[in-house]
Amino acid sequence: MNKAILSILGRDRPGIVAAVSRALTDLNCNIENVSQTMIQREFAGIFIVSMPEEMTSLDLQREMDSRLSLLGLHIYTKPCAGGDDECLAGDCEPFIVTTKGPDRKGLVADISEVIARNGVNITNLQAVFKGGDAPGDNIMIYEVDIPASVDQQALANELRVKAERLHLDISIQHRNIFEAINRI
Amino acid sequence: MLTYREIISTLEMVKNENLDVRTVTLGVNLLDCAGGDPNGVRKRIRERILGLAGSFVQVCDGVGQKYGIPVVNKRIAVSPIAVVGAALSRAQLVALAKTLDASAREVHVDFIGGFSALVEKGLAAGDRSLIAAIPEALAATERVCASVNVASTRAGINMDAVLLMGKTVKRAAELTADRDGVACTKLCVFANIPEDIPFMAGAYLGIGEADAVINVGVSGPGVVKMAVERALAADPDMDLGSLSELIKKTAYKVTRVGELIGREVAEHLKIRFGVVDLSLAPTPNVGDSVGEIFQSLGLRAIGVPGTTAALALLNDAVKKGGAFASSRVGGLSGAFIPVSEDLNISEAVRNGQLCLEKLEAITSVCSVGLDMVALPGETTEETISAIIADEMAIGVINNKTTATRLIPVPGKKPGDKAYFGGLMGHSTIISVNNGSGDNPFIRRGGLIPAPIHSLRN
Repeated sequence: MNKAILSILGRDRPGIVAAVSRALTDLNCNIENVSQTMIQREFAGIFIVSMPEEMTSLDLQREMDSRLSLLGLHIYTKPCAGGDDECLAGDCEPFIVTTKGPDRKGLVADISEVIARNGVNITNLQAVFKGGDAPGDNIMIYEVDIPASVDQQALANELRVKAERLHLDISIQHRNIFEAINRI
Repeated sequence: MLTYREIISTLEMVKNENLDVRTVTLGVNLLDCAGGDPNGVRKRIRERILGLAGSFVQVCDGVGQKYGIPVVNKRIAVSPIAVVGAALSRAQLVALAKTLDASAREVHVDFIGGFSALVEKGLAAGDRSLIAAIPEALAATERVCASVNVASTRAGINMDAVLLMGKTVKRAAELTADRDGVACTKLCVFANIPEDIPFMAGAYLGIGEADAVINVGVSGPGVVKMAVERALAADPDMDLGSLSELIKKTAYKVTRVGELIGREVAEHLKIRFGVVDLSLAPTPNVGDSVGEIFQSLGLRAIGVPGTTAALALLNDAVKKGGAFASSRVGGLSGAFIPVSEDLNISEAVRNGQLCLEKLEAITSVCSVGLDMVALPGETTEETISAIIADEMAIGVINNKTTATRLIPVPGKKPGDKAYFGGLMGHSTIISVNNGSGDNPFIRRGGLIPAPIHSLRN
């Protein structure tokens, strides 16, 4: 399957998704996955599309730049190998790591460094930093897949030590508890 | 993908609203440990408990850690010892209680329940020996809990047993007079006792149960209180129907936690999962009180007019939310109002807002009954029996469980304080109005017949 992945960035406004998807349809591309979000009024969208056999990601980039030039969007396209969303390392357990605490530079770098060093993949990250010391104003939520080969206890201890140094309150919980409580 | 709100609200429940699993209770069937040789019985019991529960506490802690939800208490409930030890004497049963206590200590559980007898229709020899052994067994042990079922909707009220339990409660208090009668905090008298209660002091493993089972008791008064307060802050005019709906949804969340953790513990131990007990169980900590929910709903304190209606609303909403959250509901499943174990309820007694009579009235609409109620030391056996009989009547006629956990605190008078320590908390001694004087009614004994609605077949 001939696939490409596009990332679209730009100032948020009504009509971005409509314009992008219309252009893709006109180019005979089929959208397989989309994830879009808006943070601080900035639009960010990721599209995975299957393209006609003869089209390359460079062709797609050119066409999209030309068709969407008036919208002032930043578009980046590259070939996509595809694959499902399962854990990269095979057998994994999904956990949620949450931190609250005073803001300072490097919080994401420090915490994600511990996660990475343990061979754990971050599957989703949401973070809000409003600045200041109010714990509720500065929150990081990492959704991670912990491979079966990783010592969960050692990882948790390492994260706790790091969080303590950063004066952060940290929680490490299996994802199922959130699903059990919030979903029917 | 989980939403930001789902994650943050769940964290709030755990960190600030005392959401936890109050107890995971391992039911251990001891029926095949029975016999006439007391040493053999004790040996088999110890081996059975150590064999089944060796890694129980460790597994509970591990599962709790995985989900970030503390499993506060790990307990064991065994088959009724009046059956297992039916052939043993009073002294031999006291020794057996010590074996249970030592075994519980060895596997690090905080309580072991099941020093129990089921006598709603009559007292057998083994039952008499067990009841006679209760005061000394509870005074000489730390972790053993006892319960006696003296009434049921099908059988009526065994008033001979009620009279006997009045004496037993009094004796248990006397034997632990130096500790404010703490033995009585480990002794419940029941009507319609369920076979799968995970909470103490009433937990035992029913005769109809399997070799082993995991039952779970959830918590959640703090979570319910905060949900009510948040909702009323957002909409001060919220009506009671909407509040009931809110409590129902909150109970759903709390119960799901218990179910998830209970099932996982059971899976680890390769033991079948039994039930989730939906009861809102308080602790003597601020923010973990059933009594505080009444204030959040708008009452000045638990005990003032309106309390029974508020508790009826609360209890029903908890059941509805919990029943939807779990396919295996059992135990007591209601709201607990243990006086000394709930800081706010204890305060209401101290302030004179909650009296014994009102407490009895509200037990008609919630689970348990007169729970952890400290009485004056001079309360007579007969009066204690009479209070038990009244509470049993509420259970029998209303086809529900009721119980008493009464502590006639030696040497203390109404208004004095009694301290039981730990989860058992402390309480002001409550007055027993019109409790003095002769009570020939209670002394008559016999059986108060089962109510007409017991004829269901």
